[in-house]
Amino acid sequence: MSEHDPSASAGADGALELLDLRRRYGDVAALDGLTFTVPPGQVFGFLGPNGAGKTTAMRATVGVVALDGGEVRWRGAPVDTQARRDFGYMPEERGLYPGMVVLEQLEYLGRLHGMSAGDAHDSAQHWAERLGVADKAAAKLEALSQGNQQRVQLAAALVHDPRLLVLDEPFAGLDPVGVDAMSEVLAERAAQGATVLFSSHQLDLVEHLCKTVAIIHRGRLVAQGDVEELRRGGRPRLAVRVGGDPDGHWAQRLAAWLADIARVQAGTVFLTLAPGADAQAVLDAARVAGPVEHFAFERRRLSEVFREAVGARVEDVDTEAQAHAEAAATQKGRAR
Amino acid sequence: MSRSWFELTWLVALRELRQGARARSFRIVTVVLVLAVAAAVAIPAIVHGHRTVQKVGIVGGSSTAMTRTVQTAARIAGATVKVIRVSDLATARAQLRSGTLSAVLASDRAVLVKQAPSAGNASSGSSLAGALAQVGGLSRLFALVPAGSAAAAISHGVSLPILGLKPPLANLTSRLTGLSIAIVIYIIILIYGGRITVGVSEEKSSRVIEVLLAAVRPAQLLLGKVLGMGILALAQVAAIVITYVVLGLAVGSGLMHGASAEVLGVGAMWILLGYAFYCTAYAAAGSLIDRQSDAYNASLPVQLPLIVAYMLSFTVLYADSVYGFYWFLAFFPPTAPISMTVLVAVGVARPWQIALSALICLAATVGMAWVAGTIYGRAILHTGGRLKLRQVLRGQAS
Repeated sequence: MSEHDPSASAGADGALELLDLRRRYGDVAALDGLTFTVPPGQVFGFLGPNGAGKTTAMRATVGVVALDGGEVRWRGAPVDTQARRDFGYMPEERGLYPGMVVLEQLEYLGRLHGMSAGDAHDSAQHWAERLGVADKAAAKLEALSQGNQQRVQLAAALVHDPRLLVLDEPFAGLDPVGVDAMSEVLAERAAQGATVLFSSHQLDLVEHLCKTVAIIHRGRLVAQGDVEELRRGGRPRLAVRVGGDPDGHWAQRLAAWLADIARVQAGTVFLTLAPGADAQAVLDAARVAGPVEHFAFERRRLSEVFREAVGARVEDVDTEAQAHAEAAATQKGRAR
Repeated sequence: MSRSWFELTWLVALRELRQGARARSFRIVTVVLVLAVAAAVAIPAIVHGHRTVQKVGIVGGSSTAMTRTVQTAARIAGATVKVIRVSDLATARAQLRSGTLSAVLASDRAVLVKQAPSAGNASSGSSLAGALAQVGGLSRLFALVPAGSAAAAISHGVSLPILGLKPPLANLTSRLTGLSIAIVIYIIILIYGGRITVGVSEEKSSRVIEVLLAAVRPAQLLLGKVLGMGILALAQVAAIVITYVVLGLAVGSGLMHGASAEVLGVGAMWILLGYAFYCTAYAAAGSLIDRQSDAYNASLPVQLPLIVAYMLSFTVLYADSVYGFYWFLAFFPPTAPISMTVLVAVGVARPWQIALSALICLAATVGMAWVAGTIYGRAILHTGGRLKLRQVLRGQAS
C-alpha cells in the first residue's frame, strides 16, 4: 500500500488520480478517503467485495455522483465536461436504449462524444465487427442475448475511441468466450496507450487479467500494487501431496512453529510457512510419511491478499453486504 | 472534437424525432386524428347537403298564398318542404320547440324558428328561414302596392323579421372551431407529455442516463428531449390543421371564415405555449420514478389543471355568458392555453387580454422550466425507489 503524494504526481502523462474521495449515503460511508492512481498503458483492476464502494468511485469519476470531498484528476487536471468526452464508461447495471437499433445507438453515442456522423458510423461498424455483433447491428438491443447486449455495451464505451475506459464489472455475466474477447480488447486498448480501469468483486477470477490492482474495503484502499508482487508477498505457501494419504493426515503432525494448514484439497495439502521456517523441513516430514508426488511453492490468491489485509473472507463480506442491501430494500418497500 | 452546447442538444432532439416518428403508435395516432378531423369537417357538410323534407307551419292568412310563398322560398334555399297548417301561434311554438316544425310563417308578419340566427346570417337566402323571410316580405310588399304604403314598407326593409324562440348563439362557427382547438390542445399535450414522462423514465430505469450524462449535461438532455417531441407534436398538429383547412375549403364549410380564422391563429399560439409550459413538468415527473409502469401515475398530477380547463370549457362554449372563475382560468398559466382559446372563440377576449395572458404564461413557462430542470437534474440519477417531490426540492436526492 502506498500513500498518494500530490507533489510526486505522475498525472499529466495520462494517469487517472482518485484523491481522498469521500461520499456518505445516510449513515454509510461509501467512500472514506479513497486514494489511488491508475497509470496509463495497462489494465488496472479495481477490486473489492460487493458494497466496498467501487461503483460509487467509478460513478464519481465519470461525474454521475457528486462527492462530499476529494477530487478526481485526469491528466493532471480536475475532471470537467470536456475531459469526460475522453472517457468511455460502462455502468454496472448497463445502460442503453432497449428499443433502439444497435448500430444507431453506437453512432448516437459516438456523435454525443464529438465524432462526425461519418466517423461515428465507421467506428460503430468497426466495434460491432470486432466484438462479434455485426450480424445483430440492425436489430434492436432488446432482441439480443444477455451476452451480446454486454458486448454492445462495451462497444458503446469504446466507440468514440476514449483515452480512459471506466468499466464497472465488465466480466459479470459473461461466458468464458466473452471474458476472453473482452479481456483481449482491454489489453489491446491498454497497449495502445489508453488508461483502463475495470472493477470486479471476483478477485481470483480476474487476477490474471490485470497488471496492477487496487483492492478496497468499506470505501478505503486496503492493498495496491503489481499483481505479481502482491501475490508473492506475505508468508510463503506450499502445496504438497503425499501418495497414499488422500486426507493429508501427515500434515497434522507438523509442528505449529513450522507451518499452518490452509486447506486440504483432493489429497493436496496447502500450507503456510511460519515466519523464518525452512521449507526443506516440511519436505523432510512429507518424505517420512510416504512418496512425495507434488511439492511446490504457491503464490497466494488476491482473495487471500484481501483476507490478510482485512481479516475477513471476501465471500463473507459479500454475503453480509447482500443481506444488508436486502434488509434496506425490504425496509424501503415497507415504508412505501 | 468538441461540439457546441446547442449542437449536442440538437443531437438529442434528433434522436427523439427519429425514434418517435418511426414508432407505429405515432403513425396510428396521426391517422386517427386526421380521420377524426376530416369526419368533423366533412360529415356536417354532407348531412346538410342531403335532401330531407322539412316541415314548415303556416299560421293565419291565406293558405294558398302562404303555401306558394313557402314553396318559392324552398326552391331558392334548395330545400324540400311540406307545408302544414297550424291553428294558432302557441301550437306553432310548441311544435318548433319539439322539432316537429323547422320554421313557421306567421301570416305576413314574421318567420319563427327555434334558434335565432346570428347577426351575419339573419337574412341569408341560403337558409330556409332566410329565404322565407325574404319571399314572405316581398309578397307582403306586393300586397301593399295598391294601398300606396309600399314606400314606407321598403324603408323599413322588405324582409320579414326572423324571430327565434331562443336567442342566437354568437359566432357558432368560431365556437365550434374553438372547441376543436381546445380538444387538439388537450390531446396533444396529454399524448406528448405522456411520451416525455415515459421517455425520461425509460432513460432512468435502463440506466442509459449514466452513459449519456458522461457526455452531455442534464439541461441539454432535457431540452433536446422536449424539443424533439415538440417538433413531432407540431408535425402532427400541422397534419390536422392542413386536413381541416383543405377539407373545409373543399366542402365550403363555414368553419373557414372570419372569426374562425382568428380563433385558429390564436389557438396555434396557445398550442405552442401550452406545450412549452407543460413539457418540462412531464419530464420532471418522469425523473422521479424508477419504473416505466409508474409513468401514468406520475404524470396524472401534472395534467389535472388541463383536464379541469377542458371540462369547464363546455360550460362556456354552450352558454351565453362567461363567469368570473373562467376568466381567472384564462389568465392562470396551467389552464390558460385552453381557457383563453375558448374565450377567443366565444368572442369576449380582447387582444390586450390575450397578449397579457400569453405573457404571464411565457413567464410561468420560464419558471416551470427552472423548477422542473432542477427536479430533473437532482432526481434523474437517483436509484432505489420512487422519490417524493418534497425530498427532491429539499435536495435530498441522489
